Amino acid sequence: MRRGLMGWDEAELPRSALSARLERLQAAMAREGFDALLLYTNLVRPAAVCWLTGFTPYWIESLLLVPASGAPMLATALSKRVADWIRTTAWLDEIVNTPKPGTAIGQRLAGCKRVGVLELDALPAGLYDDMVAVAPKIELADASAMFAAVRSHVDDAELKLIEKADALAVAALAQVDASATDAGSLAGLVEKHARLAGAEEAYIAIALDLDLDRRLIQVSGPVPLARRFAVRASIAYKGAWVRRTRSFARDPQGARAMASAEAWLPQAMHALRELLPSRGYSTVAASFALLRAELHSQMRGWMAESCVGSYPLEVIASLPMHGKEGPAPGTFLVLSVELAIDDVPWLGAAPVFLRG
Amino acid sequence: MIDDDRKQRLLAAMAEAGIDMLLVYGNAWQGDYLRYATDFSALEGQALALVRGDGHVTLYLDSPLEVDRAEIDCPDIEVLHAPNLIAEVDGALDRFRNQRIGSAPGRLIPRRLAARAKDLNLSDQTAFLDRLLMHKLDSEIAAMRCAAKLADDGYAVFRQAARVGRADYELIAEIEAFFRAHGVDHNFQIIGVGGPEVRGMAPPSGKRLKRGDMVTTELTPRVDGYYAQICRTLVVGEPNGEQRKAHALWLESMEAGIAVVRDGVTAADIARAENDVFRAHGLGEYTTSEYTRVRGHGLGLFVDTKPHILEDVNTRIDAGMTLIVHPNTYHPVVGYMVLGDSLVVMRDGCEVVTATPRELFSVPV
Repeated sequence: MRRGLMGWDEAELPRSALSARLERLQAAMAREGFDALLLYTNLVRPAAVCWLTGFTPYWIESLLLVPASGAPMLATALSKRVADWIRTTAWLDEIVNTPKPGTAIGQRLAGCKRVGVLELDALPAGLYDDMVAVAPKIELADASAMFAAVRSHVDDAELKLIEKADALAVAALAQVDASATDAGSLAGLVEKHARLAGAEEAYIAIALDLDLDRRLIQVSGPVPLARRFAVRASIAYKGAWVRRTRSFARDPQGARAMASAEAWLPQAMHALRELLPSRGYSTVAASFALLRAELHSQMRGWMAESCVGSYPLEVIASLPMHGKEGPAPGTFLVLSVELAIDDVPWLGAAPVFLRG
Repeated sequence: MIDDDRKQRLLAAMAEAGIDMLLVYGNAWQGDYLRYATDFSALEGQALALVRGDGHVTLYLDSPLEVDRAEIDCPDIEVLHAPNLIAEVDGALDRFRNQRIGSAPGRLIPRRLAARAKDLNLSDQTAFLDRLLMHKLDSEIAAMRCAAKLADDGYAVFRQAARVGRADYELIAEIEAFFRAHGVDHNFQIIGVGGPEVRGMAPPSGKRLKRGDMVTTELTPRVDGYYAQICRTLVVGEPNGEQRKAHALWLESMEAGIAVVRDGVTAADIARAENDVFRAHGLGEYTTSEYTRVRGHGLGLFVDTKPHILEDVNTRIDAGMTLIVHPNTYHPVVGYMVLGDSLVVMRDGCEVVTATPRELFSVPV
C-alpha cells in the first residue's frame, strides 16, 4: 500500500496537460465508436487512471468512466471521508464514493451502446457483475490497443515526472557502498533515502551473490551480502515509475569490470534513443557491442519495460522474445541488461526516452 | 513451518468440502487468499494459482521480476511465467473440466475466467477460504505476535522521528528503513497531522509538523505474511486539556471493547461496547460512517481482514481469531484521534499482543 508522499502539484502536472491527454483519448474513442471508456485502477494497476487524472489509490479499487465528451467520473470504494484527500492528489471534478463502484458506473452508462474497457478480460468479476446487472444491454469491447496507442507518447509533464523519479532512484542507489555486508539494512537505507526525497513508492530488490544467482529479490532482516551484488530501485514519484539497477563488487577484478560497464551504460542508452525506434530491438545487443570488444563481455539478457496500460511498467520486449519492430518514437522505456564482463556478472537498468 | 501447517489444513478442508481444485487470485493489495494457498505475496503484477487436491500448486505470474522472487521464496511449488496471465490460466483450466473447482476471492477473479463458471464447474469458495483465514493456527498466531512486537518497536521509531519541521513522509521513511533492517517486508501505514480540520488518515501529503499538531498513525508491519497493527496519537508539544479529555474517552472506549472480547461474542458486541462509551459522553454521532469506517477488524494475511467490527456485523468471534480493536474517529474539538491494540481471542477473554503504553504521547518542541 502506498505510504510515500502523494499529492497533486499543478506546477508539475498542469491541468492543461491532463486536458490535452483527455482530448487525445476522446478523439480516439470517437474514431473507435465508443460512447464511453472504462479504466480500472487499484494499487497494482494505477497507471492508466493516474495518467489521465493524477489519481493513484493507496488502497482498494476504483473505476474511471471517461465519457465521449466532458470530464471523467471516478467511482471508488474508498469512503466518502477520503474524497477530499483524493481531490488533493488528482484532477477529478466528480467522485462517487460507493461500496459498489460497478453499480454506480453501470447506472451512469444508461444510454450508451458501445463502451470500451481497458484490459477487459482482467476486469474483476465483482465490478463487472455489478455493472452489467444495471446495464445489461451495453456492448463492452476491449480498448487496450487504442489506449496504448494514445498513451505511448510521453508529454513534457510526464517526462519531467519520470526524470524526477529517476533522479530519486539515482540518488538512492548512490547511498550503496560496495563494502556493505547486510542486505536488509542496505535495502532499508536505499528505501529511506528515496522516501525522504519524496518518493511515492520504493521497491528495493537485491541479488545477494551475483556469482551464484543473478535473480533480484525483496530482502528484509539481516541477510549477508556476497562480494559481488546488485541492487534494483523501483521508484515512483507522483505516479511516474522508473527502475535503476546497479552492481557492486568488493574484489578489484569485479569492481573494475563493473565500473567499466557502468561508465558505458549512459553511452549505450544514448545511442538507443535513436536506434531503437528506427532499427528495432536487435540494436540493444549492438549498443553494448563496443563494450564487449573492449572488455570481452557477453550479453546474457535484456528486458524492455514501458507503460502501455494499467501497469506502471510491464515487459514489452526481451531477449529472445522480441519482434523485428522497435518501439514508437516518443516512447519511454526502462531497459534492464545483464552482461558478463571478463566473466564478472553485471546487472544494470536505466530509463531511455526514445526520440520522438 | 507455517506454510506446511496451512497447506495441510487447506488440503484437508478441500477434501472435506469436496473441492478438487482451487483457483486463487492475488495482488499486492489483496494477497491473503494467494498467500494462504501458495505462501507467495505478490508485489508487482497479478497472480493466479491452481491448488490441486493432491497438494500440487502451480503459481502463474505475469511479471518476470516476480517469477524470480517466487522461485526463491517458494521452492516447493511450480512457478510459471505467464505474460498473458488470464489467457494462459484459462487454457490451463480447460484441462480440469471434470473437476469441482472453487475460486477465491470471487469478486476479484478476472472477468474472463469468472464468465466460464458454468462451463468449468467453477464455484465461488470465498467463504470457505475466509473461514481458514479468520481462524488461526498456533504458528500463524506466533507470526502475528512477532509482527506485534515490531509494531511496538516501529512506533518507538515513529515517536523518535516526530519533531517540529519534519514532513509526514519523512517519519514514514524512518520507519520503513527500520522495518527493512528488522525483517518486516511490508507495512501498511496511514497518517494524519493537524487539528480539528483533520477528519481521517491517509498517505502522507507533505504536511510539516508544528507545535500543537496531533499526529495520528496506524502502523501495520508484516512478518512471515502476517500483519499486526497499532494505532496511537501523539501531540507535538504538550497536549492541551481537550486533547487529554478526548484521549481519555478513546481509552475508555477501546478498553470497553477489549473487555468484551472472548470466544462466542459477536463483532457487533465489541463495536457496541466501544460505541456505548461515545454515546454516554454525548458523542454517539461520531461512531457513524459519516466519521469513521470500522471500530476494529480482523488481522492476518491481510491488513483489514474479516470480520469488521461494526454494530451490524454479527459474525461470531472465536478463540484463535486475531483482531484489532480501535475506536478511531473524529472528535469535534480536537480532530481525528486514534487508539488501537492488536489481540488474540482466547476462550475466556483475549491476549493483547501490542505493548506500547496506551498514552497520548507528546514529543518535545
